[in-house]
Amino acid sequence: MAYTELTVWTRGIIMDKEGRDIVNSISASARLEGKYAQAMENYVDNPDRTNCPTRKYCRVSDTVIENELTYENEKPNIIVLVEGTMVKGWDYMRGMPPGGTLVINTHYTPEYILRFVPGAERLAQLVCVDAAKIADHKWLYYRLGELGLDRLSTEGAAERNKSIAPDIAAPLIAAVVKTTGIVKLATIEPMIANKHAFKLALEELHIMPLHPVAA
Amino acid sequence: MATATEVKKRTVRINGCVASAQAAKYADVDVIAAYPIRPYTATMMALAQMVANGELDAEYIVADSEHSQLSISHGASSSGARVFTGSSGVGVQFAYELYSPISGSRMPVQMMIADRTLDPPGDFGSEHTDALSTRDMGWLMGWACDAQEAFDNHLMAYRIGEDPRVLLPQMVCQDGFFVSHITSDVELPDSGQVKEFLPPYKHPYPLDPRHPVSHGPQIMPEQGPPLQLERARAMEGAVAVIEEVHDEFAKIFGRRYDPWVEEYMTDDADVVFFLQGGHAVTARFAIKHMRDNGLKVGMVRLRTIRPYPTDRVNEVLSKFKVVGVIETNMGLGSVSSGGVLYGEVCAALYESQHKPLVLSFMAGMGGEAIVLDEFYWMAKKMTEAQKRGKIEKRTHWVGFEE
Repeated sequence: MAYTELTVWTRGIIMDKEGRDIVNSISASARLEGKYAQAMENYVDNPDRTNCPTRKYCRVSDTVIENELTYENEKPNIIVLVEGTMVKGWDYMRGMPPGGTLVINTHYTPEYILRFVPGAERLAQLVCVDAAKIADHKWLYYRLGELGLDRLSTEGAAERNKSIAPDIAAPLIAAVVKTTGIVKLATIEPMIANKHAFKLALEELHIMPLHPVAA
Repeated sequence: MATATEVKKRTVRINGCVASAQAAKYADVDVIAAYPIRPYTATMMALAQMVANGELDAEYIVADSEHSQLSISHGASSSGARVFTGSSGVGVQFAYELYSPISGSRMPVQMMIADRTLDPPGDFGSEHTDALSTRDMGWLMGWACDAQEAFDNHLMAYRIGEDPRVLLPQMVCQDGFFVSHITSDVELPDSGQVKEFLPPYKHPYPLDPRHPVSHGPQIMPEQGPPLQLERARAMEGAVAVIEEVHDEFAKIFGRRYDPWVEEYMTDDADVVFFLQGGHAVTARFAIKHMRDNGLKVGMVRLRTIRPYPTDRVNEVLSKFKVVGVIETNMGLGSVSSGGVLYGEVCAALYESQHKPLVLSFMAGMGGEAIVLDEFYWMAKKMTEAQKRGKIEKRTHWVGFEE
């Protein structure tokens, strides 16, 4: 792949860090591998509100990135939904060229979830990973108070947890990297805080191969 | 003096906002006056963390508005503090009353601007109108095109503004998003280098109860003209200091900037873009591609607009056949009925023996990225004008015309 766009859809504020960790770690790994790479948040989505859909972007290229200042990914090859219910309601698939990958954090199977995906005929694979379960993701239920202090609408500046992918981002990164090869697993693994979830996810992906046709 | 090889270098990947905060830290500012508005907010968030972590010993004052931010800055600077403040878009406008008093009392306050559109459209995107509308208030002013240049400009601006021959406030500008939110590699200096380059701020007449002086008193009309003349002379006098400081910066930090304009592929160019700020990054790629197709195109990027390098702009632009001014600002009803840069360019060229044709392009409005195809379109308009020997019209709205 000469030029790859990755778009992450996530939930404003409470899951911003997860989205940011995915694009930042993949972009940093690509640079370590000698590629050109860029990670950024969707400038128009910020400042976000709790739970509103927000986008994070990553671009990886063998050659210098000339559209560095274009503030949205126009043709995402890989799309990640950090939260399962985002699968329906709007067209997150727009612009995807045929042959793309969709990764969803969900406990459902690809066979079930496929019916909700708009423009699924462009997909080469649909990947489901139960990231919340794999990362033993309890904070949403038991640590809301802590979360309220840590997750603020500050584009990450005020977050106290500085580690990369301590939570559900780890399995999602594992899913993206294993199924797309956008970077090497060996490059990115040392960056990931939750190594247990990262490794576990590699074994527990549900991958559905598809036959993309031109949109 | 440490040589470049002896200097310990550290390269970090940060965006323009954080680069500005880092620069303020390296400048060891005494007082920070903050009030949030996107996109510059991230600078103040980063500084707040530095103060909280004990990395920076400064008074961090959260103001109740931009007007108060600049009032705090004015007072703090009068007492002899090195001051850092900043804003974006309508925030820059709300503080407008303070710009003339601060330059009038010759206080070298530094203000970081990450441009944002005014209302309308009031989106987060970058138009330069916010800062440009204050361009004649006696502040030194210039644009960076990437995070490294933003970092460097902050240090140089303090050094220039605090020079006893200048004593003027500075607006250090960068495009919202295109510079403020795009990460790139920034080489942070050794603190010894900064100490050598930027001595502690010492105002000659600070407010001090032990040595009473008056700042900004009510004066009589006959006292007005000399005061205004002095401020005008300070601005003119800044020209030599700006050149000196850029030289010294290059010696100490190893990065040499032309203080006035960056010329890119202009050696044999017939047509050139004239612009400020971040869009230069895409312009360079566009120019390379057009050069591959045999088009003699280049770019002249204005780095300092106040003081305006009239003679330099005249000398540089007189070499070309067509100049395409990319405005990224609104000058409603102005000379070209487009943006305000056109008038600045044409006035500088008035005394030239070889006047190029000048076109004004309204591009990147609302903070839209100017994409490669739009640069190609503008170059086409410029070469058409070159062939025709005259312009079709002064202002083109890019994206709205065939």
